[in-house]
Amino acid sequence: MAEIDLKGVDEIIDRYKGEEGVLIQLLLDIQNEFYWISPEAIARISDKMRIPKSQIYRIATFYKAMSLKPVGRHIIQVCLGTACQIRGAPKIMDRVEENLKIKEGATTPDMRFSLRRVNCLGCCAMGPVIVVDGKYHGKVTPVKVKDILEQYE
Amino acid sequence: MAVKLEIDGKEAEVEKGKTILEAAKEAGIDIPTLCYHPALEPFGACRLCSVEIEKRGRKKVVTACNYPVEEGLVVNTKSNGIIAIRKMLLELLLARCPEEGKIQSLASEYGIVKPRFKLEDERCILCGLCTRVCEELVGVSAINIINRGVERAIGTPYLELSDDCIGCGSCALVCPTEAIKREKNIYPTTAEDIREIEDGYLEGGRDEELGVYSDLIAGKTSVDGQDGGMVTSLLISGMENNFFDAALVVRREEGYKAEAVVVEDVEGIRSARGTKYLHVPMMSKLMDALKEGRRRIAVVGTACEVRAVRKIQQQWDLERDFPGVEIIILGLFCFESFDYEGLKEETKRKFGIDLDKADKTQITAGKYIVTVGGEDYTCDVREFENVVREGCPYCDDFVSRLADISIGSVGSSDGYSTVIVRSKIGKRLLDTTEFIKAEVDKKEVVKLVRFKNKRADRNFARILEGLEA
Repeated sequence: MAEIDLKGVDEIIDRYKGEEGVLIQLLLDIQNEFYWISPEAIARISDKMRIPKSQIYRIATFYKAMSLKPVGRHIIQVCLGTACQIRGAPKIMDRVEENLKIKEGATTPDMRFSLRRVNCLGCCAMGPVIVVDGKYHGKVTPVKVKDILEQYE
Repeated sequence: MAVKLEIDGKEAEVEKGKTILEAAKEAGIDIPTLCYHPALEPFGACRLCSVEIEKRGRKKVVTACNYPVEEGLVVNTKSNGIIAIRKMLLELLLARCPEEGKIQSLASEYGIVKPRFKLEDERCILCGLCTRVCEELVGVSAINIINRGVERAIGTPYLELSDDCIGCGSCALVCPTEAIKREKNIYPTTAEDIREIEDGYLEGGRDEELGVYSDLIAGKTSVDGQDGGMVTSLLISGMENNFFDAALVVRREEGYKAEAVVVEDVEGIRSARGTKYLHVPMMSKLMDALKEGRRRIAVVGTACEVRAVRKIQQQWDLERDFPGVEIIILGLFCFESFDYEGLKEETKRKFGIDLDKADKTQITAGKYIVTVGGEDYTCDVREFENVVREGCPYCDDFVSRLADISIGSVGSSDGYSTVIVRSKIGKRLLDTTEFIKAEVDKKEVVKLVRFKNKRADRNFARILEGLEA
């Protein structure tokens, strides 16, 4: 997963070639396809779209939705918004970190999980909430964390 | 169409589309700015030009640099509220950059000497002038704003040595602080830097057009390279006589597309002979070579690359990071370089031939010549103006003034290369190389130096004018 197939990048670039103002969409497509944006991918876009590398890097470092580091097979988002916070989200985060032996923002060495903190997912009634690969797990307690993680290989 | 407005009680009439800042300037009212330059798009980053506007009885605060004038607008640039905003901004800026002269003097104008906040040791105020001049005028965009929020900074991609920066120094000219001069991943070369490098690395008489040099000769060798094959011969002799162990050269890799490669033997050097009129990433390759443990390296490059290498020698503690490092620089005469994709397309369009199949390309006496299958295709080089690489019109160095030895074709007769010796090591390198010597027509070289400088001067004038305003 860590290596990005540049052919795949080329295919995405071809969708946008010749158009103006498409950089963000293009980067999002690469992010969706490969879960991160590699230096090689940035160089390729720069060459083919004739956009200076620094401008691509600027965009990629600005948006939280884009990752410049390889991410794991599963992405865990732990909500630390106000409501979840009050309902004990910090303890959930601690437990996830403990289980995976990584800190928030990092990826496990076996590339299984990437852990992120988010600020409110908009479903406060379900709090504390964690989301794995887009699936919402509500009313999480520290005890449930292990079971949830075990569902993802 | 003109618009009427009121600034600080004065009636003003300006063209529609102008900003409040421009209108105020015309009315002789001074509004402080840090991120404004008339030749660049307004950015609204420093907020110092905040003014109060009143329309339809409602007041609000806007930045004068990017707010277009409106009919009937009432502007107050010195209300108590505005002064309070500026004071706060300057206090924060001074806390961020306590050592910056320009910030200090602006702050003291507003009565701020010592900020209440914790002092930081920062130089950059994130005004974005450097990134905008590099993007909008020079067209290179070597640096940009990166990250966001409190981590926002100015930098190169991945904070690595830039392969794009041409060292023109525009960013250093517009930077209101010392920040850009401290950036180590780009190579802004100011007049003072050039002087310092010349004093530190070069030897010979100082010539206004050709820079510092001790010898100016034409040479021809047995190598079938460009012109007299001097670059290839100097490299071969340098390697055989143990001046360096490796050479960073540009070689055609795929068709005409070229890459900077490290070669370690005569065969490798020969494989890179002949001029490619392209700009290729070079500094990252040099850094890789150093990291891989190579220490004694010859670098062959154009003026922009030569500047970059010298800036690194000047700014970095190379000896500490790479003990025993010795870099010898062979500079090439360069009027401008081209974009590979663009040159390929244009060549196809003009002559119907594939640049990738070219045996040789040459630009001489204003003509662009492509040789394919023994046949020459020629036209005026100006017809390729639209594929000239961004930034080249801002370069004022035709003869690679900062190299140890410079080589080019202008100034000597067919089959000879012009050589300018600029340092002791350059002299020793030339002395160990066998070649047939001839005279150089210095006037020819000077003519092109002046031509290139004039173009750069015209471009820089816009930046300089804005600084005085």
